[in-house]
Amino acid sequence: MRLAERTKHDGGTPATASAAPSAAAAVVPPRKRRSVNREGLEAGRRSTRTLLWILLAAAMVLYGFPFLYLLFTSFKTPIDTIAVPPTILPREWTLENYVNALGRSGVPASFINSIQTAIISTVLSLVLAVPAAYGITRYKTLSGRIFIMAALVTRMVPPVAIGIPLASMMGSVGLADTPIALSIAHTTISLPLSIWLMSSFFEAVPKDLEEAATVDGCSRLGALWRVVIPVVSGGIAVTAIFAFLASWNEFLFALLMTAIRSQTTPVVIANFQTQFGLDWGSMTALAAVYSIPVILLTFSCSARSWRA
Amino acid sequence: MRISDRRFALFLMTPAALFLAIFVAFPLFRLVADSFYKISPIAGGPRDFVGLDNYFRAFASEAFTGAGWRTLAYTLVVVTLEFALGLGMALLFTMLGRSSQIWRTVFMYPLMIAPIVAGLLWKFLMIDNFGLIGTLLHQAGILGNPNQIGWLSDPGIVLYSVAIPDIWLTTSFMCLVLFAGLQNIPGDLIEAARLDGARAPALLFRIILPLLRPVIAVALVVRGIDAARAFDTILIQTNGGPQSASETMSLLIYRTMIRFGDPGLASAMGTIYLLAMLAVAFVAVSTIWRPGKDT
Repeated sequence: MRLAERTKHDGGTPATASAAPSAAAAVVPPRKRRSVNREGLEAGRRSTRTLLWILLAAAMVLYGFPFLYLLFTSFKTPIDTIAVPPTILPREWTLENYVNALGRSGVPASFINSIQTAIISTVLSLVLAVPAAYGITRYKTLSGRIFIMAALVTRMVPPVAIGIPLASMMGSVGLADTPIALSIAHTTISLPLSIWLMSSFFEAVPKDLEEAATVDGCSRLGALWRVVIPVVSGGIAVTAIFAFLASWNEFLFALLMTAIRSQTTPVVIANFQTQFGLDWGSMTALAAVYSIPVILLTFSCSARSWRA
Repeated sequence: MRISDRRFALFLMTPAALFLAIFVAFPLFRLVADSFYKISPIAGGPRDFVGLDNYFRAFASEAFTGAGWRTLAYTLVVVTLEFALGLGMALLFTMLGRSSQIWRTVFMYPLMIAPIVAGLLWKFLMIDNFGLIGTLLHQAGILGNPNQIGWLSDPGIVLYSVAIPDIWLTTSFMCLVLFAGLQNIPGDLIEAARLDGARAPALLFRIILPLLRPVIAVALVVRGIDAARAFDTILIQTNGGPQSASETMSLLIYRTMIRFGDPGLASAMGTIYLLAMLAVAFVAVSTIWRPGKDT
């Protein structure tokens, strides 16, 4: 009965509800009976749930299959790889492709370049984005508002448009073909995103927190460093993952800005195609080695952040 | 002496602002400047000021207008399919509730894969002769011949085939954003509609989608911008071919710059492309974020 009354009330004000769903959620008092606020959409009937689980299983199989096929292919023999008709599982499992791919000259070096570039770019993004996002969200000045808009606009810039001028700039200061130059280029991609993400995390921190700290004699920088940053450490981790992935998987800047010395693995993977004709086996092996650690790392990070 | 809060905020933002000015704004300025010159591809070669000539050449070239239309078609296909699939998955996860949490995480895995790897993988799946998709469709009795569909070799469909890896990679993103939006819909509202006798389609189109509108708009804009810049997946699959049938704007600019050695023309194309993106982004941002109201 209580439910019906409240729902009538909600149904009577569709205009306000559709304009501000979060406001509508705030009006509804939290109920203890059920822990989450989404029971409305959650399916209750057993038969419906079974059907949904079957649908989910089908979707997961379809969605996961391409990558599994990549893994299976990486264990095939060269003849199996391009057999007509193709088979899903290897007829004979072999590590040959891994030995070939990792033993090829330039491949181990490219891994080191990728790691270096991604780490420098992640650190650079965080060092620049954390204070900027804090300045934007905490003080809400006009300059901050303009800045976050400008940061969003830079996200629209197509990399192909600034890649060449950026490469020649780096060349003129003697940084051509170095991980530092490439990580700066990657930071142009991840910085706007990081500022945006960090702003949303800072938004959630209550202002009283650093006011209490400043009353206790902390400077504003000290309050940021000792009080606020520990509170948003989870958000910083998420931002770091995004920045790392953006650099790790980036291809166009790496193609335009690196030659032999600082080439990252995505460029090497792409080069397999032209340089070695149809060496699909080695290519899939290298792609697997490049992707799997990052997938596992991200999953373990997200699992940890849930537990926290 | 304490500096004012406004100064302090400015002080915090300055490093990031300087970085973006030097490494984004300045190269952009160079790009626009280059678009007014005829530039020899050889380093240190002659530079002649030609005014708007490069722009006239760009608009007169069939490659440029063709690439423009293909980029538009590609973006629409990618964003539409991603939205439909992402919404379907988000609804599925929501209806299953907490117990599907682990699968929600697993579903995110393509977001961690490099576009270059995804392009390569799908090329391998769709390639003529030993591609698995043609074979599986043939074995299922749908195709009479495994090579009946030339996914990547038929100019009529290649633009849509090269979109598949992009869709596969980022449907997860769409799902993530829409799922977060769905969590904010009050359950009581849904139950009320159910009590009033609303069936699933009415529930979806009259209640859920209107409530999700702001989230949908943000997701579509973000993905639309990314799809319009697609480069890696197309380059690795077809390099724009066959017969330029999958050459989108990023690829055309890249080829004009690197392969055909015409930086002036490429810069003009890049400038037009950027202006078009900014125009779309500006309209989208001003309608969605409503500057001044929040942030």
